[in-house]
Amino acid sequence: MRESLVIFRRELKGYFYSPIAYVFGVLMTGVLLFLSVSTSLVQGAQASMQTFFGLLPIVCIVFLPGLTMRLWAEERKMGTLELLMTFPVRISHLVLGKFGASVAFLAFVLLMTLGLPLTLGVYGRIDWSPVLASYAASLMFAGSFVAVGMFWSSMTRDQIVAMLLSLVSLFLLYLLGYPIIIELLTGWMPAWMIDVLNGISPYKYFESIGRGVLDTRDFVYFACFCGFFLYANALVLQSRREKG
Amino acid sequence: MHRPPVNLSSSSACYRQRGGALAMTLHCVLLACVLGQIVFLASRHRVRWDLTSDGLYSLTDSTRGLIGKLDKQLLIEAYFSPQEKLPVSYRDTRTVLDNFLDELVQLGKGRVVLQRFDPNSDKVITERCQRIGVKPLELRSGTSSSISVDRHWQGLRFVYGGGKQKVLEQLAPQSSFQAEALLTPAIKEVLTTEKHKFGYMEWQATAVGQQQPGGIGWNALRAHPDLLKRFEFQNYKDEDGALLPPDLQTLFLYRPKDLTDRQKYVLDQFVVRGGTLVVFADAAEYAIGPNRAFTKMPLALDAAGSEKKLLDQLLSYGIDWKPKVLADLSPDAYTPKDRFQGAQEYLSLPQNNGFGTMYQVVPYPYFFHAVARDWSTAADKFAENEGKVDDALAAQFRKNFVAGMPSDEFLFKTFKQIGRGPGFYWPTWVGLRQKAGEVLDLPEGITGKVLLWSSPATLAEDPPQSLDPLGQGDMQRRNEQFGKFQQKLAERYKAEPRRQAPLMVDVRGRFSSYFAGGERPKRVSELKEEEAKKAADAKAADQPKEGEKPQDTPKDVVGPEAPKPADAEVAKAPPEADMLKQGDKPGRIVVMGDSDFLRDDFVQGTYVQAGGPMSRFGMMFFTQMLDWLAEDRDLVALQSRMPVDRTLTFVEAAGTPNADPRQAEQALASKTRWVRGLNIVLPAVLLALFGFVVMAIRRAQKRSFLESLN
Repeated sequence: MRESLVIFRRELKGYFYSPIAYVFGVLMTGVLLFLSVSTSLVQGAQASMQTFFGLLPIVCIVFLPGLTMRLWAEERKMGTLELLMTFPVRISHLVLGKFGASVAFLAFVLLMTLGLPLTLGVYGRIDWSPVLASYAASLMFAGSFVAVGMFWSSMTRDQIVAMLLSLVSLFLLYLLGYPIIIELLTGWMPAWMIDVLNGISPYKYFESIGRGVLDTRDFVYFACFCGFFLYANALVLQSRREKG
Repeated sequence: MHRPPVNLSSSSACYRQRGGALAMTLHCVLLACVLGQIVFLASRHRVRWDLTSDGLYSLTDSTRGLIGKLDKQLLIEAYFSPQEKLPVSYRDTRTVLDNFLDELVQLGKGRVVLQRFDPNSDKVITERCQRIGVKPLELRSGTSSSISVDRHWQGLRFVYGGGKQKVLEQLAPQSSFQAEALLTPAIKEVLTTEKHKFGYMEWQATAVGQQQPGGIGWNALRAHPDLLKRFEFQNYKDEDGALLPPDLQTLFLYRPKDLTDRQKYVLDQFVVRGGTLVVFADAAEYAIGPNRAFTKMPLALDAAGSEKKLLDQLLSYGIDWKPKVLADLSPDAYTPKDRFQGAQEYLSLPQNNGFGTMYQVVPYPYFFHAVARDWSTAADKFAENEGKVDDALAAQFRKNFVAGMPSDEFLFKTFKQIGRGPGFYWPTWVGLRQKAGEVLDLPEGITGKVLLWSSPATLAEDPPQSLDPLGQGDMQRRNEQFGKFQQKLAERYKAEPRRQAPLMVDVRGRFSSYFAGGERPKRVSELKEEEAKKAADAKAADQPKEGEKPQDTPKDVVGPEAPKPADAEVAKAPPEADMLKQGDKPGRIVVMGDSDFLRDDFVQGTYVQAGGPMSRFGMMFFTQMLDWLAEDRDLVALQSRMPVDRTLTFVEAAGTPNADPRQAEQALASKTRWVRGLNIVLPAVLLALFGFVVMAIRRAQKRSFLESLN
């Protein structure tokens, strides 16, 4: 675990020392807040973060691949992956450290948006518990997207390819949580398969927590989802290490 | 033949690679299966916590209380077709229903039994569904090559103790909130063994421009199917004026007018005997009609020739009904709950803007509601004169002003959450009897309280002939007329003192008869009997005395006997209990200063297209009032589960009348712009600033490192 922490610190420092991360943060919060305040901050509207959290998945789909594409692909391109592999750490520690750092950075970016619920609290009676639950859900949701993005980043040397693969897969995962899309699939697939596909989408679980209801099922899902992609990521890296 | 040499090492590497990839894939597939199973099991055995402050996703005490009350078995028959065959949009509703039913079974601890049937799987079950009234949802589904209409079932039957039952033919709740709102009243219905009985007497409003010869009553509420399942209403407006039966507990008096002395006596004896009298009173009646001209119609509280006055009678019980019409000039009071979607609640003007009809709210202070706020906190605002606060007046106001909804009765729980009472239309003043110095002067043994108050910006006046704010004609004329209307109100507001008007009053105790010390008014049948007796006596006086020969009566007439004179047909009136002068049981009188908010045309939204008025909260208030009167608290928690008002207020609405709306609009626009800008820019600026600081620190560290090297 100590090794993971070392990697985590190194990666997190990397984020804060790189201007790209700030550009990413400013753009992400700017777009998210710009789109949501026009409907959230209206006299007579309800003090609710519904619009903000409704937009968050789309913004994550657009921005997160940009953040995750470099996680392994850059290391490979720069030739530092080989060096990393020679460190006396297990692959799983490497993966967990990088994943943790990305999630922590995202948490920092999300923290920057706390001004909106605070404003809503000043001018209306905001219900804080669902808001905090939604932030927790957002972090888990973003974490699951980071896990997918990291996996694709480990698969290829090219950052753009990694970004495009992440973008497409995240968009598909998001769509699978939408009833209309699922409805369209009913004519093409058996019911059990549709249920399975619907059950895969993180969006469904994000919505569930976002209402303000904490459900053990949702936590188990996010843990399993992230665990699966991180494990696959570790397998890919392990095979590379073995290949030399 | 030359065979190329086999590169054993590359071949084995290739195999190794392939084997590795296969192993990796297998690894991932197996892991996915295991994790899938874990998620599936977690969804079966889940624990959830509702974090919402108003418990939006939890069962209310109503459901818990009802299930706790079960002394027999409650059987729930669920007629559901399989979830996987439902269209996707309906699957979530099934999940909601399943979760809710499971929770009921758990709560019931053996007293709630759930049985599931699939009507599509068995013809016998399909027939049973049809017999008991469960209906299929006929939903269209399509593939790339065909479209079909499938029958899906999602209905419930509740059977309590093997006897009473209730069927919910189709249901598709989107949330647990909706599921509870549908299922819990159904459970309450099967648990209700005895309907609470209410009596009523009504006097209908005049219908203008409509084909309703009988006038407009309150049938929409009184005969509402959901209410009739739990309550029984019986008309006691009797031509003869018989006393009310002793088992009747509550009597509604809807819009009393033209009351005879006998009717007043009936009411008097009812409350003296311990009954609960609920009066929906109006001081005046205004015709609405298609043009909404609001012209006064004749209305007299007492019938012609009546010696006793209804107002005096109520005063003797401790109720002071001033037959004045009220206007509340506080914008909080006359602004509808939702000025965009529900502008027609009071008065609005329809305007076509190319996209459809929009309704613009017309400030009309004769339609208003009690505001759930403590008006003493606004004393300074009301004591302001030309920008200066009169301290002495403010102190007096602080002492005298009260909250708009001061009562803790459960009737008002929901309305307090909404922040307002039901909308009233040309309401009247109903308060408690007072003596000089505004000191309460209730009869001995009587207690009373005012349950609803208007704001301190209330004006009271004798009902004027017209209360039309806009008049008839083109837009310019209407604007002029509205200007005059507002001007008149503003002048009156300046001239009259600030005071709150009571809108609803509740008086309880052992009442003394208003008719004590006098003779009781006679019933119609008694009067007829007396008249008949008098006529008979007069006739007897005209008859020939004994010994005198009766004049030419034909004795040999053949045929049916001649009919008796009409007077002889008057049936003998049944004897009546003596007048009770002092009650031995406590009675109760509730008087509301409006009846229009319950009348059919207001409740049913007859004037919605024209721009209102429409009573949005009349039905809700009446339903909760029935529970309140019957002291049935079972559904209170469910009914009062209203989402907390979380409306954003950047700029407070002008608290006093005559504030310039343009200034308020400018202030709002500026503040909104400022708040939005700050929310967008501040996080980005903070982040960028943080970045600059980090960069600066790094640069400094680098410089010092290089310097140390040098």
